[in-house]
Amino acid sequence: MTYLFFSYFKDLVGREVTVELKNDLAIRGTLHSVDQYLNIKLENTRVVDQDKYPHMLSVRNCFIRGSVVRYVQLPPDGVDIELLHDATRREARGG
Amino acid sequence: MTVKSGARVLPDVFGRFLTLSRIVALKILLKPLVYSLCTKGRTGMATEEDSAVKEPLDLIRLSLDERIYVKLRSDRELRGKLHAYDQHLNMILGDVEEIVTTVEIDDETYEEIVRTTRRTVPFLFVRGDGVILVSPPLRTA
Amino acid sequence: MIEFQLFRALSFEMSTGPGLESLVDQTISVITNDGRNIVFQWDPNLQHYSFVFPLPNAKGILKGFDQATNIILDESHERVYSTKEGVQQLVLGLYIIRGDNISVVGELDEELDSALDLSNLRAHPLKPVIH
Repeated sequence: MTYLFFSYFKDLVGREVTVELKNDLAIRGTLHSVDQYLNIKLENTRVVDQDKYPHMLSVRNCFIRGSVVRYVQLPPDGVDIELLHDATRREARGG
Repeated sequence: MTVKSGARVLPDVFGRFLTLSRIVALKILLKPLVYSLCTKGRTGMATEEDSAVKEPLDLIRLSLDERIYVKLRSDRELRGKLHAYDQHLNMILGDVEEIVTTVEIDDETYEEIVRTTRRTVPFLFVRGDGVILVSPPLRTA
Repeated sequence: MIEFQLFRALSFEMSTGPGLESLVDQTISVITNDGRNIVFQWDPNLQHYSFVFPLPNAKGILKGFDQATNIILDESHERVYSTKEGVQQLVLGLYIIRGDNISVVGELDEELDSALDLSNLRAHPLKPVIH
C-alpha cells in the first residue's frame, strides 16, 4: 500500500479540486476527505460542463470511487515540489 | 537419516557463503556503474539501496523533476514535469500538456477523421491504472 | 445476520475517510460504471435501510453497503437520459451493485431536485467508464 498520495490528498482537504472521471465527467468541488483507496469525497460539487452532463444537477456532495478517477486537477499553490520529491524518494526506497 | 542430512549441512553452508561473497563482489564491481546512472537528484550520501537500478521503477526515479512523456489509455498523451510517483505509477505532473486523439467517421464519405485536442493544466494528479508507458526525457546534448 | 455484517462494515467506514455514512438518511443518486443513474433514499431507522424514491409513488429499499462500496438495493429506480425525450424512470427491483461498478454516490439536494423538470431534461446517457 502506498501512502504518498493518500497523505498528499489528506493535506489537500478543504481545497478546490477538479476530479476527472473515466467516463469523461469532470466534477469540481471542495475536497472533504480521502481514504487509502484514494476514494474521494467532494462538497459543494458542480459538474464542469453542466449543459452536456445534467445528470448531477441536484447533487452537491458526492463520494467518488477512486478506481474511476482519471485525473485530479490540483490547485497550483497546493503542490510543494520539494516536499513531493523527498516523499517520492523516500517511498521509492520502500520507507 | 539425521546423520545423512547433518553431513550435508557443512558443504551447504560453505556453498551459501561462496554465493554470498560472489554477490558482494559483484555489487562492489558494479557500484561505480550504478552510481554513474544515479547521480542526478541525489542528496548527500546515498545508500546502496538508493542508487541501485534493479527494476523499471528505479529508472522513473531518475526522471524526477524532468519532463516526461506519458501514454495513457483512451488515446491520451501527457507531457509534463514529474514531481511525484508511486509503485502504481500514480503521478503528479506539473506544466502538463494533454493531447487527446479522437477518431470520427464522416457520415457521408465514411472516412475516418482524426482530431487532436490539446489543453494545458498547471498541476495534475494522474491515476496509475491508466498509464500505458512512461518515457524519460531524451538525453541529447 | 446480513444486516449485522453490513452494520459492522458501516462502522468500519465511519472510522476511515470518505465512507458513505454521511449519506445516511439522504436521497442518494448512484452513477454506475456503465453510465446508469440510480436514485433512492436511505432511512436508517427502519429494519432494512429504506429508500424512498424522491418522486411520487416511487420507493426503494437499500439494505446496506460495505467497505468495497458494494451496495444492496431493493426496489430502486433508474433515471434514463436520452436526447429524444425527457428523463424516464425505470423500476429496477432487487439489485446488488458490486462496488467495482460504482463510479459516484451523490447526495441529492431535495430542494434542487424537486425544482428540476425531469420530463424536459434531455441529455446523452453518460458514457461507460473505460478502465
